[in-house]
Amino acid sequence: MSSHSLSILIVDDTPTNAKQLEAVARKLGHHTILAGNGEEAIARFQSEQPDLIFLDIMMPVMDGITAARHIRALPSEKWTPIVFFSALDQMQDIVRGLEAGGDDYIVKPASLHILRAKINSYARMLSLQREARANAEELRNWRMDAEEQSRLGAHVMSRLTDASGLRDPMIRHFNMPAETFSGDLLCAARAPGEVLNVLLADAAGHGLAAALSAMPLTQAFYSMTAKGFPLPSIAEELNRKLKSILPPDRFVAATLAAIDVRNQTVEVWNGGNPDALFLNARGEVAMQWASNHPPLGILPDKLFSGMTETVVFHEPGDLVLCSDGLTEAENPAGGWFSIDGVRDAMSQARGSEARFSSLLQGVMDHLGGHPGRDDISALLVSVPIDRRRQIRFDTPTPSHQGHLAEWRLDLSYGAQELRYIDVVPAVLGFVTQIQALKAHQGALFLIFSELFNNALDHGLLGLDSATKSWIGGFELYMRQRGERLAKLRTGRIDIAFQLHQIDSRAVLDISMTDTGPGFDFEKRLNNPDALGAGNELAYGRGIALVKNLCGQVVYSGNGNKVWVRYVVSDLIVESEEAEVETATQHSDGAGDDTDLVMF
Amino acid sequence: MLIANEVSGDRATLTLGGRFDFHSHRDFRSAYEKILETGAVREITIHFGEVDYLDSSALGMLLLLREKAEGTGKSVILAGLHGTVKQVLDIANFGKLFSIKA
Repeated sequence: MSSHSLSILIVDDTPTNAKQLEAVARKLGHHTILAGNGEEAIARFQSEQPDLIFLDIMMPVMDGITAARHIRALPSEKWTPIVFFSALDQMQDIVRGLEAGGDDYIVKPASLHILRAKINSYARMLSLQREARANAEELRNWRMDAEEQSRLGAHVMSRLTDASGLRDPMIRHFNMPAETFSGDLLCAARAPGEVLNVLLADAAGHGLAAALSAMPLTQAFYSMTAKGFPLPSIAEELNRKLKSILPPDRFVAATLAAIDVRNQTVEVWNGGNPDALFLNARGEVAMQWASNHPPLGILPDKLFSGMTETVVFHEPGDLVLCSDGLTEAENPAGGWFSIDGVRDAMSQARGSEARFSSLLQGVMDHLGGHPGRDDISALLVSVPIDRRRQIRFDTPTPSHQGHLAEWRLDLSYGAQELRYIDVVPAVLGFVTQIQALKAHQGALFLIFSELFNNALDHGLLGLDSATKSWIGGFELYMRQRGERLAKLRTGRIDIAFQLHQIDSRAVLDISMTDTGPGFDFEKRLNNPDALGAGNELAYGRGIALVKNLCGQVVYSGNGNKVWVRYVVSDLIVESEEAEVETATQHSDGAGDDTDLVMF
Repeated sequence: MLIANEVSGDRATLTLGGRFDFHSHRDFRSAYEKILETGAVREITIHFGEVDYLDSSALGMLLLLREKAEGTGKSVILAGLHGTVKQVLDIANFGKLFSIKA
């Protein structure tokens, strides 16, 4: 029995009847409202909103049947039971009453026991109704809350993951969420040396929780890519980040790839995703990278491996990454799309655009109009063979003003540090803080990484770049490099940067000295093959590139010292003159306290 | 999901059947919690013989079990892998995280 007190509207024109009912109701702890006819009943119903109505039928002014019809016609949020309490005891009277909107019919006179039992029974029902209404209300509020949060979440998420990098002309992608949120995350960005880095991550589960788990990856991926960190370091950092944030039962499967068109390599780290595929122009799988690692966010730092697999490509093609939502997409019979389905969908199509459409169409056809159970995503990178090996840097407008102050940076790395520090991004991080050099980040990355890798690979590690020209040689080279670097115990590389002014030009001199045995630079640099544009060898290409960007490259010692001069700007305009000649430019630079201002 | 639970001496075996996915959360947890509380048990074998589907939440549950088991000095072994179940565990490289028995 409910302890909740009801408010009961008693409608009767005979005061003794009304009093009898009132006495029973009050004794049970309920509150009563009295009305003497139908019209009064409607008015009291509207003003008092009772929980239960006892309604006589034969009354002056308006009878109970008419009153019941009126009451039922009124808009109401809750159900108010109407119990007819009448001396009319014919079958048709009872039917008429119930048809007019009554819920019950008690014939007068009724025993106190019956009246008490009826009131108690309605009290129970009304209490259940109240509970149900409260639950429904709560559920509605929850849903509205959830919808609002989803809306906000989806907005923030789309802003956070909306990367201009995905609009790269080499990239095509789709991401179909199973719910409002996708737990699949796609990222792409260019590293300073023109290398394209992509990431396809699939957080366990789907919906908001999954989307939230994948979120921390974006920032680390973009900032490390922008600084030119190698893929293994990025994988390690992403794992570290997730491991520290996620609970033990949450993880993120991920494929990271670096596409280097200049060196014709594709480097992949795959942890928990379906095979990454490289389809050649004939639609054959030329290369395949299976998952070699557990997903991100599971292993502690010291057990995690960021080891990647790098493959040289000799023909153009499409690199295809996908989440298991694609390979495990089910047709109405429950059959998976599978990695073979991915390959087959694209193998007949020619050209990246057609392949992309065929893949999307293929999985849609497979799903047969049903939504996917999991988030479905794929990312295609169309990988060209660029025979011209163009170096695409827009040299900033050579117009500087003000006096150029000299800036110098000297660094020295021993074997101990070289084993674990990513020297190139670390050093370039310093160098490109100098405002005059910011715009040259790409070119400086190429020059510096070439010089540094030569010093480390050939000088200290004794690797022979001729190895790279054999079939499978590049892979061997990379393996040897990893092994020898891990064992490096002696040796040192000294690096110096100097930004200064020569005549009217701002120049950056970079010199590098390693403690290795050096090489026969005269022979190497005079080898026309190594510098030729049509050269297919990875070997020697680096020096040619540096020469191309720097103009002045000088080897000395026994080849273990190199000095290059990079022209930052051709013309430095003294600020006094500039005020007159380029007033608008000057105002742009005003308030900037660096010595060299660039436009 | 169906779970049969068998403990003999220092070994416990959970034999799973049907779909092992995020709906199995409560059943799986209550099944292993009893075993984790049994001090004598050193080795917990999860047998997948009758499992026909495994999703990423199931992998998460296994990782959670592994963490809790390690906390009480027990090891977790995955057994009876076959078909798509084996495929899913292989792709996630769970062989590097758990002992696997045929």
